[in-house]
Amino acid sequence: MSLWRQLTYGLRSLMNRAKHDRDVAEEVEQYFEEAEAAWRSRGLSAKDARRAARLEAGTMAVAKERVNSYGWENTARSFLSDLRFAGRQLLKHKVFTATATLTLALGIGANAAIFTVIQSVLLSPLPYKNADKLAVLQTHWTNSGHTKVGVTGPDGVDVRDQAKSLEAVSLYSGGNLGVQLRDHSVYTVVTFVDANFARVFSLQPIAGRLLTDGDAHHAALVSEEFARDHFGSTQAAVGQMLQVENEPVEIVGVLPGNFDFPAQTRVWEAFPLRPESEERTAFNYKAVARLRSSATFQTAETELLGISRRLETAYPGANRNKQILARPVHEALTGDTRPTLLFLWAAVALILLIACVNVTHLQLVRAMERQRELAIRRALGSSSRQVIQPVILESLLVSLVGGAAGVLLAFPAVRVLVAMAPKELPRMNEIHLNGWVLGFTLALSVLTALASSILPALKAARVDPAETLKQDASRGMTRQGATTLRDGLVIAEVAATLVLAVGAALLLHTMMALAERDMGYQTRQLLVVDADAPAHSEQDAHRAVRQFHDIFLQLAAVPGVTQVAGIMGLPTGAYGSNGYYTVTGAGPVDVNHSPYADFSVASPGYFRAMGIPVKRGRDFSAQDTDQSPFVAVISESLAKQSFGNTDPLGKQVQCGLDSDKWMTVVGVVGDVRQDSPAANPGPTLYMPMTQHPYYGNQIHIVLRTEVQPLTVMNAVRETIARVNPFIAMRFTTMDAMVNTSIATERFRAALISSFAGVGLLLAMLGVYGTMAYTVAQRTFEIGVRMAFGAERGAILGGVLAHAAKLACYGIALGLGLSLMLARLVTSMLVGVRPTDPISLCVASLLLLLTALAAALAPGWRATHVDPMVALRSA
Amino acid sequence: MTDANTDVIQGTLDMLILKTLSLEPMHGFGIARRVEQISRGVFKVNPGSLLTALQRLERAGWLDAEWRRTENSRRAKFYTLTRTGRKQLEEETADWTRRASAIARLLKAEG
Repeated sequence: MSLWRQLTYGLRSLMNRAKHDRDVAEEVEQYFEEAEAAWRSRGLSAKDARRAARLEAGTMAVAKERVNSYGWENTARSFLSDLRFAGRQLLKHKVFTATATLTLALGIGANAAIFTVIQSVLLSPLPYKNADKLAVLQTHWTNSGHTKVGVTGPDGVDVRDQAKSLEAVSLYSGGNLGVQLRDHSVYTVVTFVDANFARVFSLQPIAGRLLTDGDAHHAALVSEEFARDHFGSTQAAVGQMLQVENEPVEIVGVLPGNFDFPAQTRVWEAFPLRPESEERTAFNYKAVARLRSSATFQTAETELLGISRRLETAYPGANRNKQILARPVHEALTGDTRPTLLFLWAAVALILLIACVNVTHLQLVRAMERQRELAIRRALGSSSRQVIQPVILESLLVSLVGGAAGVLLAFPAVRVLVAMAPKELPRMNEIHLNGWVLGFTLALSVLTALASSILPALKAARVDPAETLKQDASRGMTRQGATTLRDGLVIAEVAATLVLAVGAALLLHTMMALAERDMGYQTRQLLVVDADAPAHSEQDAHRAVRQFHDIFLQLAAVPGVTQVAGIMGLPTGAYGSNGYYTVTGAGPVDVNHSPYADFSVASPGYFRAMGIPVKRGRDFSAQDTDQSPFVAVISESLAKQSFGNTDPLGKQVQCGLDSDKWMTVVGVVGDVRQDSPAANPGPTLYMPMTQHPYYGNQIHIVLRTEVQPLTVMNAVRETIARVNPFIAMRFTTMDAMVNTSIATERFRAALISSFAGVGLLLAMLGVYGTMAYTVAQRTFEIGVRMAFGAERGAILGGVLAHAAKLACYGIALGLGLSLMLARLVTSMLVGVRPTDPISLCVASLLLLLTALAAALAPGWRATHVDPMVALRSA
Repeated sequence: MTDANTDVIQGTLDMLILKTLSLEPMHGFGIARRVEQISRGVFKVNPGSLLTALQRLERAGWLDAEWRRTENSRRAKFYTLTRTGRKQLEEETADWTRRASAIARLLKAEG
C-alpha cells in the first residue's frame, strides 16, 4: 500500500511538476498566514506579526525548498535533467554522436549476431525432456587413442543389459535413403530405431502411437513435416504405407516437428531390439542412452569402464583395448562446431574492443573540448560525482542507442549467418534472437559505456581548474599526457585489428590452398546422381546391380555424356565405408595395428570416368562377376602401407565389408582426398559392385560430360526412370560436392574476413580521428611554422610520419599477439603454417596502408593552413 | 526563540503528528500550534520539517490529505489519520512509553 503510494505520488509530482509546486507553495503560504494571524490575534501590528512569524519559522523560501526536496522523484528528476543535458549535448555534437553510435552499432551488432548463434547452439539446453541425462555411446581404443561414435551390435546389447546407471539404451542406424510412397519416391533421412528409442527421448507422438518391439520391419514413425508434405495432415499419415529398402512399412505414428534426432530424420523405422549384426568388429550402430535420475556421467563412465573390462576378458580378440564411453548428447552434437563458434566469438570480441577504443578516443576528444566547462564547474564547487555523472550518462546514452541499432543490425546478420552456415552446423533451425540475446546486448552496451567512459570520466574528475583555465590547447599549449594517451589508444587499436587481419589472411590463404589442391581426380564436368534402388534380399541386390549396369550402358548413349560409372564411396559423398583389412604375402604383419582404409565399391570404368590414373594392373571388367574369383584394386597409399616396395599385384586382401573372401589385387590406382580437399590422400580399397551387391544398390552414378553437367540432367532422369521408376534420385555435380565439403572452412574464412574488414574500417576511423584532432589542435603551431617558411611537403610528411610511427608500433604489438594466439587456430589451417610469413606481411602492409590513408586527409588539411588566418583566429 | 524552546526530539515528530491528528483532521499550522500548546511551548515545530514529515506520513499511508476551507475560508490542506495511521500511532506510543519508562528508571537508579 505505502509502496504504491510512494510510487504513484512520486510519479504524479514528476508528471505534473507545476501543480506539485503550486500545492506546496500554497500550503507553506497558508501556514505562514496562519502564523501571522496568530501573532496578530495576540495584539501585534501586521508588520510586527510578519516579523515575529519569520523569526520563529524562518523564511518561506527555505521551507518550500525543504518540502520540495522530499521524495525519490527528486533524485530521478536530477538524473533526468542530467540525461536531458547529455541528450542535448549529443544532438549538438552530431558528428561525434553519429560516429560513436555507428561504431558501437557495428561492434555490438556483430556480437549480438554471433552470440545468437552461440546461445542457440551451444548454451541453450536441447529441446528434449531432461536433455542433461541423455548420453551418446562411443567406442574408444586405449592403445591408439582413436574414438568412434557408435558401438557394435553385441557390445551395445551388453551395455544395455548390464549398465545399471542407464535407464534405457537404444541402438539405431540408417542415413539418407530412398523411400517409396504410393506414386513416387523421395530421398530422405531414414533412421532404424529399436523400441527403446522413444523411452530414451521420452517421446510423445502427436498422432497415432509409438513403436513396440513387435513392429520391427513393419512399422515406422514419421515427422510432422513429412506427414504434412506427403499426406496432407498428421492424422492422414497414420495407417499409410511406405517402402523402405523394398520392405512395406506402415506409418503408425507421427512425431512432433521440433524433434530432430538424428538430425534431419523424417522416417524412424522399427528395428528389433536384438541387433541383426552379431559382429563385435562391425560398428553398424550408433547408440543413445538415458541416465537414471540418480546417476551422473561420472558414475555411468565408471560402470561402463567395468563392463568394457569384462568384455575385454570375454572376447580378447575383438574387444582388445576397447572401451565404451558415455558422452553427453549436447557435447556430442555440438562438440565439432564449438571451436569454430568460439573462434568467431573471440573475433567479434576483438571488434567490440576496437569499437570501444574508438569511442573512448572520441570521448577523450569531447572531454578535452569541454575541459574548460568542467574546470569552471569544478571552480564553482561541483563535486567529482557531479562532474563525472554527465560524462558517464552521455556515454551510456551513446552505447544504448548503439546497442539498439546493433540489435537491429543483428536481425539481418543472423539471417545471413544461418544462410551461409555449413549444413553440419547443428540445431540450425533453433537459431533465433531471444530474450537472452537482448539481455546480453544490453549488458554489453552498459559494459561498453563504462569501458569507453572510464578514462574520460577519470580525466574529468581530475580536472584542475587553475591549471586548465591557464592552458589553451588551440595555441598549442597542451600537456604531454593527453597526447600519449591518445597515441596509446591508436596503437592498441591497430594491434587488435592486425590480429583480426592476420586471422583473416591465414584462413583466406587456407581457402586458396584448398582450392588449388589436387583431389586426385578431375572435378570439372562431372554430374553426380545419388541413386537408391530398393533392395532387401540378396536377389534384390543382385537385380539392382544388374539394373545399374544396364543403366550405365544406356546413360553412356545420352548425348553429351562421355563416361558413366557407379560408385559406393565417392569422395565427399554421402555413402562410404571404412575399416580394417588384412593382407597376405608381403609386409610385416602387426596384429595390434591392423591397417585401416576407406572402402569403395565401384563399377568398371569408374577410374576412367573420374580421371583417377590406373598406375599398375587393370581396372575392373565385365568378367569380374560374383561367380569369378574375387578381385580388388588398391590405391598407391594402401600399396605402400601394406606392401612397401614389393609388387602388390596378385597379393591377397581381406576386409570385413560384407564377405570375408580373400580378394586378389589386380590394379593400383592414384590416391584421392576422400572427405574434402582438407583431407590427406589416404589408402583406399576398391571392390567391384558385382561381387559386393549389398553395397551396390545405393550408389552415386558419375557421368563425365562434354557439356555443362546439369544440362543433361533431364535426359539422365528419364533414362533411369525408364529402367526402374522406383530408383530415388538426387542430382548434383562433383564441383558442388567438393565445394560443400569445405563449407566450414569457407564459412570461417568469409566471416573472419568480414570481421577484419569491419576492424579495418574502425581502425581507419580511429587513426583519422586522432590525426584530424591533432592537426586541428596544432593549427596555430603549423601556422607559425608556415609563417617562418616551412615547406608544405614537410608538414604533410610530419603528419604521415606520425601516423606511420603509431601504425608501426601497433603492428609490432599486433604481430607479437598474433604469434602468441596463432597456435589456437592451427587446427583450422590447411597447407598454411600459423606463422605463415606471407599472411603476416600482407596483414601488416594492409594495416600500414590503412593508417596512412586515414592520415592523408588531415595531413592535406594541415598543408592548407593559412598562416594569417591561423594566427589571427588564435 | 528562547532557550526553553527546544526542537522536537529526533524521531518523535511523526508520533506527535499522528497523536495530534487522532483528535481531529487539521492543517499544518494547526498541528504545529497544537503541539506547541500541549507541550506548553517546550516543543517548537519548524514548518519545513513539519510539512516534509506530513508528506512522508501521507506517502506511508498513515495520513490522507484533502484541500478544504478553514473557518476563515482560506484554502488549506487538511490531514486525516487513516486506519493504518492509527495502528502505527498505537505501536509508536507503546514503544515510546517502554523506552521512556526505561530511561526514567535508569535515571532514578543513577540519582
